[in-house]
Amino acid sequence: MSEELAAEDLLARVAQHDVDALSELYDRYAPCVYGLIAHILPSRDSAEETLMEVFARLWSESPSLSQEGGSVVAWLVVTARESAVDRLRALRMNVPNAGPQAPSADAGKGSKAHTRKSKAAVLAPSAAKSAARPLNGKSEAMKPRPADGERNPAVGPVPMAWLPRPKEITLIDDRLVLLHKVIDQLPKPQRQALELAVFGGLSESEIATEMGEPLGKVRTSLRAAVTFVKHRRRAVCGTWAANI
Amino acid sequence: MGCQHLEELYELWLLGAISEQGSLDLREHLARGCAHCLGRVREATETVYLLGLASKPARPHPRVKSELLRQISRKVAPNR
Repeated sequence: MSEELAAEDLLARVAQHDVDALSELYDRYAPCVYGLIAHILPSRDSAEETLMEVFARLWSESPSLSQEGGSVVAWLVVTARESAVDRLRALRMNVPNAGPQAPSADAGKGSKAHTRKSKAAVLAPSAAKSAARPLNGKSEAMKPRPADGERNPAVGPVPMAWLPRPKEITLIDDRLVLLHKVIDQLPKPQRQALELAVFGGLSESEIATEMGEPLGKVRTSLRAAVTFVKHRRRAVCGTWAANI
Repeated sequence: MGCQHLEELYELWLLGAISEQGSLDLREHLARGCAHCLGRVREATETVYLLGLASKPARPHPRVKSELLRQISRKVAPNR
């Protein structure tokens, strides 16, 4: 199969039950998708199961996804994060069938076969494991968290119509190294709070508990971090003028 | 809730990080078909995508792909 086919063209083929097209999409994107999932989940088994679920969903939902015109890789990354975080939350609550819980030393290990430009663990390695193995070093992954009324467990599947167009994703991918440097510029408390949200799947109130900080302070940090990244992304991608 | 107040919430909402009340307010606002906010949500997914790629890529074991394709092929076979 030609490597020049756009992911969205491959998706159209997947929608026609072309298994080879799915295989091509998997080869192209599984490393970045699996890297994200393994960064979030504490065991290799659960990470592998989640990876399969994400691509199985891509297969089953391809007819509708291919009609929307959104970026395939954006869908994969956003869906993978959401699926992994859902599973992590289930593990914390000890929900049955949430997947194997045995820790695995090699989940999340890098590979020479990376197919996407990505700086290693820009949001620190502790991020991943801050979710599964939080900052205080205790094994919080399996610890049930109380329903505190602040929890916003799931936004639900992100509709393809909400996803960026392929052209917009290309702008980001072409500047990924620079954009990761932007993330590096975040003050440590902001970055830590953001890590717990992105890779730990924690709500702002849970992050406040985790960090031992007042909710208001964490809320401010999170919003400042996101605003900083958003503004710099606009600047780097040329969609907004600003100094870096 | 006005659009300006929501500007700083889209990304955190997509990440599932804001309070339940904030999430409900945002959903309600989007359900009214606010074109400005729908555009901003799409932009927010770009930031979520970027943050997700901050993790280090990793190669899954080859058996994962084999198992995936085996399951998919089993679904396709009855249709042939």
